[in-house]
Parts: sequence; structure tokens; C-alpha cells
Amino acid sequence: MADTAFEAQGESVEEVFRGATQALLESMANPVTVSGGWERAIERTDVDPSTLLFDWLSEVVYWKDAAGVVFREAPLTLTREGDVWLLRAGLIGAPVDQQTQELHADVKGVTKHRYELKQTGGSWKVIVVLDV
Amino acid sequence: MNLNTDMAVNRITDDIWEIPLSEKPGMLVPARIYATREILQAMDSGVFDQVTNVACLPGIRRYALCMPDGHWGYGFPIGGVAAFDVQDGVISPGGVGYDINCGMRLIRTDLTLADVQPYLETLLTELFRKVPAGVGASGFLRLSGEEFAQVMTHGARWCVERGYGWHRDLVRMEEGGCIEGADPSIVTDHAIQRGINQLGTLGSGNHYLEVQVVSNERIFDPVTAAALGITGHEQIVVMVHCGSRGFGHQVASDYLKVFEKAMRRNGITVKDQQLACAPFRSPEGQEYFSAMNCAANTAFANRQVITHQIREAFATVFGQSAEALGMELVYDVAHNIAKVERYAEGELVVHRKGATRAFGPGSPELPETFRQTGQPVICGGSMETGSYLLVGTDQAVRDTFGSTMHGSGRTMSRAQAKRTVRGEQLQQQMKQRGILVKAVSMSGLAEEAGLAYKNISEVVESVDRAGITKKVAELRPIGNIKG
Repeated sequence: MADTAFEAQGESVEEVFRGATQALLESMANPVTVSGGWERAIERTDVDPSTLLFDWLSEVVYWKDAAGVVFREAPLTLTREGDVWLLRAGLIGAPVDQQTQELHADVKGVTKHRYELKQTGGSWKVIVVLDV
Repeated sequence: MNLNTDMAVNRITDDIWEIPLSEKPGMLVPARIYATREILQAMDSGVFDQVTNVACLPGIRRYALCMPDGHWGYGFPIGGVAAFDVQDGVISPGGVGYDINCGMRLIRTDLTLADVQPYLETLLTELFRKVPAGVGASGFLRLSGEEFAQVMTHGARWCVERGYGWHRDLVRMEEGGCIEGADPSIVTDHAIQRGINQLGTLGSGNHYLEVQVVSNERIFDPVTAAALGITGHEQIVVMVHCGSRGFGHQVASDYLKVFEKAMRRNGITVKDQQLACAPFRSPEGQEYFSAMNCAANTAFANRQVITHQIREAFATVFGQSAEALGMELVYDVAHNIAKVERYAEGELVVHRKGATRAFGPGSPELPETFRQTGQPVICGGSMETGSYLLVGTDQAVRDTFGSTMHGSGRTMSRAQAKRTVRGEQLQQQMKQRGILVKAVSMSGLAEEAGLAYKNISEVVESVDRAGITKKVAELRPIGNIKG
């Protein structure tokens, strides 16, 4: 009740990763108002795509505080090699600037409440609840 | 009675309700909810489900409790209190919350509304400048890793020793602003990097800094109020609500993950993933407790640095020192924490999540300063309606593991609040009612509209009548800073 929730859907797991990432970025700031200048390249692997998505979203939240930035975009690709899912992502953003950026919530963490990445029919879906 | 649950909820008194063991398989103790009939009827279904889930956790003693400001949370409801035996019980990050030692602080002044009103806009601008708020905000202190480790172990004491506060502040904080048993060596580098630059910042969400007024007619216990420095006569006070910032959030995230694995190894099953827990005496349980204490101390330090900044802002605007302005601390109290305390059952790990310690005058743990009054309890309402100063009671120690409410509690989701009111519109409406607001995020402001919260006066009345806290004074907002 005191928090932010979103649902991301797609025809592939990669699309769900993109949708969930975009929703998280928008929870913190309007990406259109954020310039570039700060960048990180991130690679993560896991046998479970649900865990991989949770850890990736948590890492985005981490960089928000550790680097004091908000984000413009996070291009990513997700591939599968055998049992292992590989995420290659970029985080592009800028230091927080209250004068030029439309800032939203200071996300504390990604929660496991109702969290589940699942395939229904031909599409994938995840529900994410953020503690803000 | 029309409730948002199918469970049987039995009346114990007009302000205490009990869900018996029969209502959910696995309940080890009954669940008790403190609320008036009206508040109980308005509670969301999550409260009933979650408080009975908590009643299933290993080693729980007496009752799983929920206070009248209770609402859905992660794992535990907000407003939840549960005590577990230190020998056979568990500790759960979900029973503390992501914002470890989120808490309230109240600072008194000798100023009156007449003194402050002409300078209110200037004062808020200065406070807004000195106390950073909102997403990713960093404070003015740049600490080395070694210094941050000292903050983790020494809490508010570290601040006072470096001139960010007065030595007499420390006696007016829960645990003197420093909890023992904090070991920085078991905190992850991720947690340190998230928090090292955030000392002295408010954050966002429902966190705030508020300038308030105390009128004579809203003092309910003049003797206790006077003993706590609250004199009325349109007196100005300042309230702060915030916690351990990114550092505490990361400690919670880190250990929820650790505990998922620990549960499998210890053969513990829970009704909700967010109730992940470990035996208190297990290595994981002890490590989390120690890391949580690091975060709790960081939160005390955060509120202390903010207090220093508030005092400087007042001194700048009014041209007198903070001491000359009478800016003494009334109290600082946690409302997201787990602590080892002694009760009739023995040593227990008392989890308070959105609940406040409320020790009465008879509690030997209290410093001499509060042996006559009981421990101050600070309850924040919505930014539109006001807040309360209360004191703990010996009855709370007997009935609720020395615990009471922490605020008014939400009745409306953030999304629903934003659909109902716009931030700019709310800011204007509040200005017309004499409450100035400075906010980093207008959408964040809308989320905190008064209509999204329960009526705090009703919530306070219920705990007063139940005898687990006694109301001292109501505090009316005139200026608010939000992230």
C-alpha cells in the first residue's frame, strides 16, 4: 500500500527485462529529463532468469545511491547459453540535479512481495513491488 | 461486524481484538490487534493475513501484535510487533523493514508562532538548503571508510564528539543514540557505498522535516509536557522523520537473500517470502542482528547531523545561537528495529516494524530524565493534519512488549493518492491553510496527501484508551520539507 508496483509483459524474457527496467528507471526520475555523462557496463549470469532480473533491478537501485545518479536509459541484451542466462546491460544517466531533472521516488529496494517471473501462454510476465 | 477478512476476530475490550489459533494452520500464538471498532473495520485485508502469518514464526511468544496504525507491509504488517525467544526463536529482516531504524525526532524551541511567522518562508528555504532531500541526495560530510565504520559503531555519539550536536542530546535518544553489538566487518561493501555519502539527508517517500506549533489548548498533560520542554503558548517545535537511508536499505536487501538460503538449511518454512528468517542464535541471525545495529546507529547519526543542520538554519535566520533559541532535543525514537529486551517470558528479540518502544516510568532501562514521565513517544501524522507527543506506560511493558503505534497509517495507496490529487494543487491548498511546503518531487508530495492517511487523532485516542501510551500534546504543522 505504501509502495510502487508495476507489471512488465513481453513475448520474450528479454522484453520483460526491458519493460521492468524502464519502469524502474521511471519510478526514480523521468528519463527524458536526464542527460548522459555517467555510464556503467554490467554483465550478470544466472541459471534462473527470475533471480537474474531481481538482482539486476537491485543493482540499478544500488547505483542510484552509490553514484548519486538517476538514469536516462539502460540498453540490454539477454541470451541463453545452455542452462545459463547472460545479461549484458549498460546504465546511462547523470548526477542528480533537482533544477533540471523531474525526480520521483527514492527507491529503497526491490522486494520479493508478489515477485514472480512466469510464462503464461506465449508471453512472459513479472510483477515487481518497490519499497519507496 | 464488517471486516476485510473472513477470520474470526473476537473482542477483548473496545480497543483490543484477538484472532484465535484456530483461524490459520500453523499459528503458534493468537494475534492481537489494537484498534477501535471503526479503525478495525477500515483495516485492509493484508493486516489480518500478515499478523496471523507472523503468529506462525518459530519461537514467537504470547501474541503477534498489530497497532491501530497498522496496514499492509512486507512480511510483517506496518504497525507489527512480535517477540521471539532468544534461544529457540528467530530474527527476521521483514520484521524490521527496509529502512532500519526509521524513526522520529522532536526538537523544542523558545520561539513562538509570532516570532517565526514573518520569517517562515526564509526559514524553510534555509532548511531546504541545509538538509538535502529526495532521490540520490548526498550530505555535506565526506567520510573515509574508517570514519563511516565509526559511525556504524558509535551512532549519534560520533556526531556529538565531532561537534554535530550537544552531549546532553544523547540522553534524550533511545539507547543514547548508540546500540552496542554493531560489527562493521560483516557489512557488505555495497551497503557502505550506498550510504557513505548520505549522512544528514532526509530521503523521500513519507520522510519529512516539519516546523510545528504547540497551542495551550492542545496540551493534554501539562505537567508531563513541561517536564519534556513543551510549554505551549504557540511554541515552535521541529520534527524529523527519516532513517538509515541507502545503507540500511542495502543491509536489509543483503540479509533477505542470506536468510532465504539459511531457512532452507534450517528447515524453516514461512507463509510469505518476505518473512525470511533465521534462528536468532544461528550465525546468520547473529550477523544480521549486528549489521542491523550498524544501520540503526547510522540512522541515529543521520538524524543527529540533520539536527545540527536545523540548529544552524534557525541560528542563521533568527540571528541567535541554537542554545539561545532553546533548541533542546525532546527525544529520538526508532520505529523499525529489533532489540533484545527482558520480559516475564525471559530475554526476547522484540521486532517493532512501524511501531514505537513505549517504556513507562517504572522501566529501569530509562535514564533518570524520564523516570517521572515515561519514555517520550513521537507519532507523525500526515503533513496536513498534525502529529502527537505521547509517553510510554508500565502497562505497555506488561501488555505489548513495551510497544505502541508510530504514526497515522495509510488508507490509500500512493498510486491512488496521485490519481486523486496533484502535487502543485495540494501545495497551493496547504498554503491557503497556513502550511508552507517545499518538496523535491511534486508527485511525491501528492502521494503524502492527508487524504491518504487515517485520522491520527482517532489512532492516538485508541492507544491512550488502551493504556499503552498517554497523549501529552498535539503538534500542528506550519512548514514542511519533503523529498
